[in-house]
Amino acid sequence: MQRRAVCAVEDLPPGTMKLVQAGKFGVGVYNIAGSLYAIANYCSHEGAPLCLGYTRGTTEYAPEMPDKIRHVREGQIARCPWHQWEFDITTGESLADPKKRVRTYEVDVADGQVYLTA
Amino acid sequence: MIIDANVQPHFRYNAEIRRYLSAPHKLRAIPDVELQWYQAPGGDYRADLYGDGYPGSDPETVAHHLFDEGGADYAILNPLSRGNIADYLLNSRICAGVNDWLLDRWLEPDTSNRFRGTIRINPEDVRGAVAEIERLAEHPKMVQVGVPLQSREPYGKPMFEPIWEAAAAHGLPVAVHVNGGNGVDHAPTFAGHAYTYPGYAAFMPLNSFVHLATLIIEGMFGRHPNLRFVFADGGYDILTPLMWRLDTFWMSMRDQTPWVDRFPSEYLPGHVRFCSSALDGPTDTSQAERWMDFTDKADLLMYGSSYPHWSTTEPETVVAGLNEGQREKVLWRNASDLFGISARVEGSLT
Amino acid sequence: MTTVEDVAEKTVAQDIAVTIVDTDVHPLPVSADVLKSYAPAEWKDKLWPTGNAVSPVPHFYDTPDSYKTNSLRVDAGPPGGGVAGSDPDFAAKQLLVDAGVSIAVLEPMCDAQLPQAEHVLKAAHNDWLADVWLGEANWHGRWRGAISVTAQDPTAAAGEIERWAGHPYMAEVLMTPQTRGIPFGSPHFDPMYAAAARHGLPIATHLMGQTPFELIPIYPVGNPAHWHDFFASWPLLYVSHLMSLVFDGAFDRHPDLRVVFVEGGFTWALPAMWRMDRIWEHRKADLPHVRRKPSDYVREHVRFTTQPLEEVNLGEYREYLEMMDLGDNIMFSTDYPHWSYDSPDWAIRRFPADQRERIMRGNATELYGLPATVKALPAELPGAGDVAV
Repeated sequence: MQRRAVCAVEDLPPGTMKLVQAGKFGVGVYNIAGSLYAIANYCSHEGAPLCLGYTRGTTEYAPEMPDKIRHVREGQIARCPWHQWEFDITTGESLADPKKRVRTYEVDVADGQVYLTA
Repeated sequence: MIIDANVQPHFRYNAEIRRYLSAPHKLRAIPDVELQWYQAPGGDYRADLYGDGYPGSDPETVAHHLFDEGGADYAILNPLSRGNIADYLLNSRICAGVNDWLLDRWLEPDTSNRFRGTIRINPEDVRGAVAEIERLAEHPKMVQVGVPLQSREPYGKPMFEPIWEAAAAHGLPVAVHVNGGNGVDHAPTFAGHAYTYPGYAAFMPLNSFVHLATLIIEGMFGRHPNLRFVFADGGYDILTPLMWRLDTFWMSMRDQTPWVDRFPSEYLPGHVRFCSSALDGPTDTSQAERWMDFTDKADLLMYGSSYPHWSTTEPETVVAGLNEGQREKVLWRNASDLFGISARVEGSLT
Repeated sequence: MTTVEDVAEKTVAQDIAVTIVDTDVHPLPVSADVLKSYAPAEWKDKLWPTGNAVSPVPHFYDTPDSYKTNSLRVDAGPPGGGVAGSDPDFAAKQLLVDAGVSIAVLEPMCDAQLPQAEHVLKAAHNDWLADVWLGEANWHGRWRGAISVTAQDPTAAAGEIERWAGHPYMAEVLMTPQTRGIPFGSPHFDPMYAAAARHGLPIATHLMGQTPFELIPIYPVGNPAHWHDFFASWPLLYVSHLMSLVFDGAFDRHPDLRVVFVEGGFTWALPAMWRMDRIWEHRKADLPHVRRKPSDYVREHVRFTTQPLEEVNLGEYREYLEMMDLGDNIMFSTDYPHWSYDSPDWAIRRFPADQRERIMRGNATELYGLPATVKALPAELPGAGDVAV
């Protein structure tokens, strides 16, 4: 593990992700509405490059809606590019089964730089 | 103790049902039970039961076979109606007629209190089905609601919800069973009509999985914690591979049906039971004990003879190779819990 | 980093052992125009209507996020553009080099409403596949192909089989399982089966039917609303066909016929075999032509591809496979480049140790007559460098 500079803060605006060559498979660093998170670019299912999938929202049960679904958490969910498993970027946990998780890493900002510890 | 969870009693003759129909329906054309398209060559029933009256039509004979010879203490009677005939209102009257006949001929006269019954309903007539459940749910000997396996829509779909809600409100499981007669149905296999009787008989009960899957994925079990389904034709060995698929794909599909808030297989213990059949289980009984633990089937399975069908099975055949705990569950405990039937105390009635 | 250009480099020096055979890969033409170029002139406008009549976009079930993904792996788009699975060299990079597949069987998917149209469409696909993937793009000899045939006209299908039999890279025949109410055991298919068996070509079947209305499979108790429970139930189509093949005597009429059920998984075969054996024991008189135990027919004549593998407790899964004892009948597949792709590295660890070699390589090699070695791609040679993220 080492703390490494990723980029200038302004190069990672909200809603974007940078893929960093760290660890065996890489790490995705995400800016979600101003907060920074990092998850392994490796799906805990079959090893797909998780961060190459779409970053999305998800749904929750809403019995009062006509189709019983409400869209929530836009931009906070990494969907695996293969089987589309949903992972909460902020915790690394699968939405369906929290026991299935991907590795998360520390991200911090100092002197206008984003740093990843991975 | 042994509870036989699946017995099909029969009318003495096809026209007998007309005694239990009111004037507008008494003279309507009704299919004979034995006109089912996929009849077994040589007859649907055990060869030794033909001759002295229609197989399964005499309560004394049936009681003797099930209780004296078969060793069962109780039997759940689930009569066939006549199939999904097109006129759904007539079909509901047929179901009501079958229910009145069951009460009149089998349940009321049974002073030994060993028969239990099924409220037959027609899912294609939702209002009529709910009314029929309300009419008979409080009868102490009616322990479940009965619907055909054949259906043009799977039972998880929302149009059936008022029926399942009514059954659950009365604490009655819903038993699904292949139904006799000529009905308006889709072809029985996924590849069309079967060209042989075995091709039909081996496949048909597997269709229960589609009912089951939709009951889970549409949220029917989720919305009705008290709803139980019994798939009375067996076909439960396919549960392990197909529930594995349902669990696996849930990881990918959760967001389209977010009301499913747990692995689909987690709904099984609280909501699903199966009756045994002659076509279920490993052909090598040395695998039976281990096989029964896959998908925790020992908690789901109830012995059912299918008397008087040609495939009638005896209790010992069904539990061959099982350990003591599994035997007890299959032979009576699962059915006892589901139907609220207590062990008989010697000399008294419960 | 391995580039597409590295793979396209035509100098090959060395053979490597075949270790992984992938029995289900889906190539796509770069464009409809490419396919069109292989169709007879009078069929071009009928099969690919233009102007006011356009080809419908088929879709009756929604795979996860399918509007964006088109049911493909999000990371499988060729860097040069085009849809996933349309670039043979990029497919070789991702599948043969990155994933370590030695040989892959290519199965195009297509269908048309009417028999003659479907026959022409399938023939065009065969010509395209042979020309592009099995021709100019197969300098390494690691692609195999399927001869697509129409199930609607088994005599025309037999003719198409005759046309391609003997091609060095066509390894099997491919038909839809959505056979419009006619189960696989029906004598209707005999001309096709006879031709395939005569040439030692297995008949493979794979979900198609995404376009014509008649091919929406109507399930016996009606259709689930979601892809989730629809596809969990899907193996019951294969169960239906398998029971028909056995009970309706197809294997007795065609003793050399082999059938491959593709992309339906395989664990359902265990209860299916038990049920068939049990009903046969009880009702032999109804099946005078079925001379052997049904499960014996399955072991001799039928193969299953592995994908999609189930995500379940590993110990229990391996125990199930040991109990099933079908290690001679299962063949690994990825379904590249579809979304439900199974990685070989992950898959191999799912199987009991003594079944792995047969599943990953041996069974497919025996069925398709594959070699023991293949030419290495440049990136697979020692000193080629690591593949970076």
